[in-house]
Amino acid sequence: MKLGVVRAYMLKEFMELIRSRLITVVYLLPTMIIILFGYGIRMEVTHARTVIIDHDHSKLSADLASRFQHSKYFDTRILSITEQEALHRIKQAKTDILVIIPESFEKRLLKGVGSELGVFVDAAFPVRGETMSNYVKGVIYTAAAELMPKKQVHLITIDSRNLFNQAMRDEDAIVPGLLGLILLVAPAILSALLIVKEKEEGTIFNFFSSPVKKSEFIIAKLVPAFLLHSVNIFVLFLWATYLFQVPFRGSFTLFWFAGELYIVVSLGIGLLVSIITRTQIVAIVLTIIITIIPGFLYSGMLMPISSMSGESKIEAHIYPVMYYNHIIYDTFLIGQGLASPKIQLYLAILFLYALGIVLLGSMLMKKEIR
Amino acid sequence: MRLFGALVTKEIIAFFRSWGLVAVVLYSFTLDIYIAGKGIEMQAKNVSVGYVDETGGGISRKILSRLHAPQFQKPVLFLSQKALYDAIRNREIMVGILFDHDFEKSYEKNGHAQLNVLLDAIASTQSFQALQYLQNIVLNFSDISVPVELKIHKLFNPNARTDWFMSLAEMLSVTTLLGVILTAAVFVREKENGTWDIMLLMPIDPKLIILAKSFSQVLILMGGLVIATGIVLFGAFGLPINQSLWAFFLLSFFYAFTSAGIGLFVAAVSKSMLQVAQLSILIMMPLIFLSGAWTPIHAMHPMLQELSLISPLRYYIEGSESIFFRGTSFEDLWPYFAGVIVLGGMLYWYGFQKIGKLF
Repeated sequence: MKLGVVRAYMLKEFMELIRSRLITVVYLLPTMIIILFGYGIRMEVTHARTVIIDHDHSKLSADLASRFQHSKYFDTRILSITEQEALHRIKQAKTDILVIIPESFEKRLLKGVGSELGVFVDAAFPVRGETMSNYVKGVIYTAAAELMPKKQVHLITIDSRNLFNQAMRDEDAIVPGLLGLILLVAPAILSALLIVKEKEEGTIFNFFSSPVKKSEFIIAKLVPAFLLHSVNIFVLFLWATYLFQVPFRGSFTLFWFAGELYIVVSLGIGLLVSIITRTQIVAIVLTIIITIIPGFLYSGMLMPISSMSGESKIEAHIYPVMYYNHIIYDTFLIGQGLASPKIQLYLAILFLYALGIVLLGSMLMKKEIR
Repeated sequence: MRLFGALVTKEIIAFFRSWGLVAVVLYSFTLDIYIAGKGIEMQAKNVSVGYVDETGGGISRKILSRLHAPQFQKPVLFLSQKALYDAIRNREIMVGILFDHDFEKSYEKNGHAQLNVLLDAIASTQSFQALQYLQNIVLNFSDISVPVELKIHKLFNPNARTDWFMSLAEMLSVTTLLGVILTAAVFVREKENGTWDIMLLMPIDPKLIILAKSFSQVLILMGGLVIATGIVLFGAFGLPINQSLWAFFLLSFFYAFTSAGIGLFVAAVSKSMLQVAQLSILIMMPLIFLSGAWTPIHAMHPMLQELSLISPLRYYIEGSESIFFRGTSFEDLWPYFAGVIVLGGMLYWYGFQKIGKLF
């Protein structure tokens, strides 16, 4: 390998990245994603638009309604409209929850006959629907328990401790996972264009006809992208800890090292795409599709890996996101560091992954006209 | 009109010639949607549970026997609290239950006992839901009878199936992505090759060329949508449809033009495919994100909520949700149609003006 050649080629690549404004993708995209998604993904449901129809007009029903009104989870309005009209409002997506208190609700309860409450929840967005119905249940059962005669027979209460994220903040749960997504998508998009661009423009013939070796070519292509993206590890870290106030409890060296390895992996994925495709447009669409979905699915941020089963569990183990994110969540929220055998294993897997994918790329790369 | 037809046919033939592109489009409209629908599950299901049992195992056994599929995996026994804690740290277990020494004793004696539960709160949604399941199980176990019967109806999606929603949202996102990139590519490729200038010099109205070119991409999208709706949405996931399918295709047709409009805009301001890629990603990420496909609009930061008003995808997704699930009547669908058409019209008009000139 001739170092002088590699250096000259790298310099050319650097200049091109800067000149072609690809550099904006390198620095604008990760920051944009973390800010948008970090602020945007909210699992918790607040301000569910609730309509209560009170047919009873009693003290009890008013008490129940006021419990809804005083909760931050509901934006409650008591309307005297028919049920048909209320259902129509749900169909127009103007109302999320409808609670119907029947006539003689209080009377029946006082007699101990038992009564029914009708609740309608818009479950077009299923998770939200499920959460809202749980909230409604919570409010009504608490109310019922308080109004019940106090005879305590056999009651088990639950004392729960939230580990790693005591306040159950959405930011703490999501932002570290976003790192795994961003550092997969952004470097891959960049490197996916590196070779296919030359193919489409025909400049690849310069490489075919020059004495530059395949390995030198790939190193020269990947190193500038790698260096530019390495900066992002720190940029994203700052956004996470300062802007989103996610605590950092582990080893920074581990975080940094794992990040560099992971960038090699995602550059490698882009490299493979760049080698097998012929046009830039196909390369871009393909990269977006094969990185964003797994980046979300197997990041453990929307769905914990331990809850997966069957094919999705296997797929999760194929993509690199899971391994990296385990380390990321550990360094941010848990703080075990290298002491944990699982982290040692995952680091080793990431290393082999990086090595394997770059080797595969250089094997598939041909230095001839196809 | 014949000219228009010829131009459209030419573009469609060009599309089918690039087999890579055809493969990618087909993949996006079938397998990709299927994977997203199957894979993304935000509901707490199949939650991993571990427990430490220091009691004799009477009541604890009974409680554990109520933790079963689909909500919970089979509970795993740990011999010490430390082992359980380590498993949670390694994220192998999400919910840890501790039955300590006097749990059963105090239950028999005082009728009251406390159950200690450890939650991996990193998966905050699921652990919160799992806790609620657990609370319900324990409440049923204790003999409290509430005189109020709660009848909860989950409208439109009674079993809260996530795959229905996710596959639909993914299909609409894919439509946006391809709509923008394909249209932009069609124009920029000619710009790059220099053939666009020749096109403009020909004795054909440039507006007709632009319209025909973007119409051809709209046709490709519509083809993809029909395939995706038929095979994936109805075939694989069995989505219900409570409004007419035609309403959806009509809305989609307008939306396809809107996304082509964004593509035109991108093509107008960029000079190479590289810039197209950059710009479309930069525009699309927020667009898809703010649409409510991933999180509902009402749960977002208030500023993002305002911003989402200018995302045409927002209207498309809400409209499609209403068509498929809510079965909203035709006259109540007008805000969605209006949103898509107005925003799309503006974008299209801008791109139209800008790209119809020599560079």
